[in-house]
Parts: sequence; structure tokens; C-alpha cells
Amino acid sequence: MPQTLRVIYSAFRMAMLHWIADPQWVIPNIIAPFVFTTVALTLFKDSTGPFGLYAVLGGGMMGMWGNTLYSSGFAIEFEKWQGTLEEVLVTPSKLIYIIAGRSASNALFGLTNMMAVLLIASLGFRIPLGIENPFLFAISMVLTLLSVSTLGLIFASAFVLSRSAQTLTNGLEIPLYVISGSMFPIALLPFWIHPAAYALGPTWGIDAIRLATSQEYSSQTFWAGMSVDVAIILDLAVMSLLSLTYVVIASILFKMVEKKTRIQGTLVEA
Amino acid sequence: MTRKKRGRGESRLEKAIVAGHLCKVFSVTKGTFRRTKTQVVAVKDVSFEVDYGELFGLVGPNGAGKTTTIKMLTTMLIPTSGKATVLGYDVQRDVTKIRQKIGIILGGERGLYTRVSAIDNLRYFADLYGVSSSIRDNRIKELLQFIGLWDRARDRVETYSKGMKQRLHIARGLINNPELIFMDEPTIGLDPEIARETRKMIKELVEKGKTILLTTHYMFEADELCKRVAIIRNGEIVALDTPSGLKKYVIDTRVVEVEGFGITDKEVAEFKEVSDVLSVSADLGENKQILKIQTPKGSEIISEVQEILKNSRIYDIKIKEPTLEDAYLRLVTN
Repeated sequence: MPQTLRVIYSAFRMAMLHWIADPQWVIPNIIAPFVFTTVALTLFKDSTGPFGLYAVLGGGMMGMWGNTLYSSGFAIEFEKWQGTLEEVLVTPSKLIYIIAGRSASNALFGLTNMMAVLLIASLGFRIPLGIENPFLFAISMVLTLLSVSTLGLIFASAFVLSRSAQTLTNGLEIPLYVISGSMFPIALLPFWIHPAAYALGPTWGIDAIRLATSQEYSSQTFWAGMSVDVAIILDLAVMSLLSLTYVVIASILFKMVEKKTRIQGTLVEA
Repeated sequence: MTRKKRGRGESRLEKAIVAGHLCKVFSVTKGTFRRTKTQVVAVKDVSFEVDYGELFGLVGPNGAGKTTTIKMLTTMLIPTSGKATVLGYDVQRDVTKIRQKIGIILGGERGLYTRVSAIDNLRYFADLYGVSSSIRDNRIKELLQFIGLWDRARDRVETYSKGMKQRLHIARGLINNPELIFMDEPTIGLDPEIARETRKMIKELVEKGKTILLTTHYMFEADELCKRVAIIRNGEIVALDTPSGLKKYVIDTRVVEVEGFGITDKEVAEFKEVSDVLSVSADLGENKQILKIQTPKGSEIISEVQEILKNSRIYDIKIKEPTLEDAYLRLVTN
């Protein structure tokens, strides 16, 4: 295995071990999306159209993004609390790969939230969620998960410098739900927000997931008029391109941040 | 001892560490609304060299610049000015190469992932150091056997005692089989038995050919372990010699050690005014107080001691040969 992948995997594994060691962390991560989904489903109970889908996927997205953002912001804090930051920084591995592994691990836990929400909606509220294209649905989920992780990496570089990562985390959590169209169609948002919405990888991922879940939704997508399969592939292609851009931006930011912290000594106790 | 450095293009004799006029200045911002920037000099001018296979000590009071110096040598901080090479590599330019070849062992209970096992801790760091999978597991086993924790290898670190955690720190610092190890107060907070055990391990590492740069607050430890010791004060090295060489700084003096009760700071200050008193240090505990007075006069000063401490209780007065600690106190207080 190439060293970069090994570091990412090892950081992923370490984060997983900590999740397993502290299972109570899962509780708020399931309860929050569950409450959101319940409220949304109750509000839109009598509405027509794919509102159930918005509520369910919105709740799931909430778990995935919340976890990723939290882990990105918390990654450095966690090392500081454990007192391991200096030991980690002095290894030859780049910080970005370590945080990428942690980020992917936490996004995966968010994915379990999504599954829990789907189950609750299906069994508790009898929302028809017969996934029409399970294969493309699975691929869309995995790629969206990776896209969310790469977006988290960009924020992580800022969190490395910030003394109040938690405040930033809280402030950034809700905007993504709204802008990415997780909660309701982007078309309902003011026009000036659209460029920001389409610059977010998860916006396209959510679109692909919805298309793979329900034909009913195909008229509301950016690719309206095209066949569902083609629309999903286009969604995933745009999302992958954006995710790669995030990785490039994040690696440049991390390089700058690492140099700055080595000059200022903000990450180590001198 | 020097040796030829390998794989650096031209073959030449090198030292394990060469620090030349290292300086580190931090910018500190003060104030909420009217923000002002001030410069804090953590290391003013530090130069020293460490031979391959040497155990070199860096000692000094808190805030003297020991840790900042180590952070610069381990590439965690970029020097503001000056140059340093570690194992022949430049600390600013060859960051990754240095990191692959050095180990860092910090003191204290923190610095480990306590919710997972010793094996998981070591495996994680082995991966971060790029230790190949084929040798990783064997090395973890060997290290855990070396530190005597193989039987508890799968237990969570949070269940370990302080001494066991410190031993695990040592194993973690050796996971990449480093040529050079930086140890920052490795015995701090340990009980005497565990501290002795740790010192024994440090000696074994030197016997195995490792180069070690050690910082410590315990002068007897530096005396016992180090081939040479540098004393750092206010960001500058004020003395660098072998422990016996450093003791020569106080060869002309005797140490009058007073054990008593009720000694006040004012009385301690009074000693500093007495002629021929070179330095005074006091450990004014609640139940027992120890006063150490360095003077060339020796027993001749006892009457003056009794006069100054007439309002305090004196249990014992001893005249002692100076130790490395006395040399250290002289150098950092004067």
C-alpha cells in the first residue's frame, strides 16, 4: 500500500477505534438527525411531491456533514487533549493525510446516521423509499461521503489556526444543509445563492442520491429532461471534479498553515 | 566521536547535531481592541555540537529555552535565525529526512492514546513513520518486551500506571528505530524506583549506539547519565562541559546546607548581602526547609548563619562538597 494511503487508513482506523471505545458519541449523532427528520416529516405530512425524500435525505445529510465538520474541527483539539499533537507533528507524515483519515472515518459514521434515518422514515412514517437504482444509489452515497470529507479538509486547515474551532463548526453546520439543497430544492433559494450551492460537491451528490432513489424527483433536478442514469453520472462527475479541486486547495492551505505554525509556534508548546 | 555520514553525496565527517547561533523570537499579540504586537525572545543565541553515540544533557530553569531549542532541532519550529543540522540534514530544508530518523520521548502521562491499547498506539505511530508492514509487528513485540509491557500489550493504556505509561512513551519514541532520540524530561513525576528503571533503559539505549539529547531538571540524573551537559539560561548557553568539568565552577566553594523551620524569604535575602556568599537557594517547604549557601568560607560562615536565623529553628547544619546541582545553581543564579 502506498505510504499516503497507509497513513490515511491508519488515521481512519485510529478514529474508528476511538468511536468504538466511546460508543456514547453515536447517540447525539443519531438523535439530532432523527429529530430533524421527524419534525420535517410531520410538517410535510400532507404535502404532495417528493417532500418525504427531502426530509429523509436532509436528515441523513445532516448526520454526515455534522460528523465531518465536527471531526475536522475537532481533529487538532483531540490531539491537544490527548497530548499527542507534538508526537504526531514530528512524524514524517503530512497532517493533511492524518486529518483526511479521521474525516473519512467520521463521515462514515455519518453514513450510519443516514441509514438509521432511512429506516426510521420507512418503518416509523411509512415513507415509500423503494430505491429505484440500488447500484447507482450505493455509488452516489460513497462518492458523496468522500466529497463531504474533502470539503471538511478545507475547513480543517482553517481550524488548525483557529483557537475557537468549535464556534466555527457550529456556525458552518446549518448553512451547508440549506445551500446544498439537503432540506429543500435549491430553486427555492434566492438566485444569488445558486453559485455557492453549485460550487459545493455535496449539492450534486444529494441530487444523484435523490435521482437514484425516486423517479418522481427527476423533474426538479439540474439535469431535467435527461435520462435518470445520465443525470446521475453527470452529477457524480461534477461532484468528483469539485472534490478534486477541494483536495488541491486543501493541500495548498495545509502547506501554508504548517509553515505558519512552524514559524509562530501556535501548535506546539515552546 | 564522529563518523562518516552516508548517502549525502559527498562523504564527510559530521556530528549528530550542530546548532549554530540558534535564535527564536515569537510575536505575541496583546489587548482586545487596541492590539499590540510584542516580540518574545525564547532562544537568544544557542550553539553546541553533539557527537554520534553521545548522551548530551541540556539543563536550565523553566523558560530558559530548552524546549524551544529541542522543537527547532526536531523541525517543529523554524529558527528565526541561525543554522542547525541534525544527522547531517538542515532543520529548515530537510524536514522529512530528519523526521524519519529521529525519535522524540516526552515526559508525563500525556502523549498517548489512552482509550486504545499499547499495540494500537505503537501500530499507529509505526504507520505514520512508514515502518514497513513486514517488520512493524515484530518491532512492536520486541519493544514491548524491552519495556516489559508485552503481557499488558492489549490492555487499554488508561489502565496503566504512570510508570507503565512512561515506558510506553519510550517504546513509541523508538518505533522508527531512530538514530537520534530527543528526550524531554523523561523521568518527570515518576517515583524513584520507576525513574531509576527509566534511567537504566536510557543507558541501555546509549550502549546500543543511539545518540540522545536529554533535558532534565534533575542534576543528579544529568550527572549520572550525560557525557556532557550544556546549561542554558535566558536563551543562551552559559556553560558546556562534562559533569566533572562543570563541578570545577564550584571547586573553590563549599556548600553549607541548613535544615530548619520558620525560615523566611527576608532571611534568605539577607544571606545574599553577606560577603563571600556566592549563591543561596532555598526550598522553603511547610514542614521542612532546606537552605543551600555556596561560599568559599565553609564552616567559618556558621556563626553568621546562626545570627541571621536566630528567630528560626535550626535542626542541622552540614558542610558539603559541591555537586553538579551546586554548579548549576551558581551558573543559573549568577
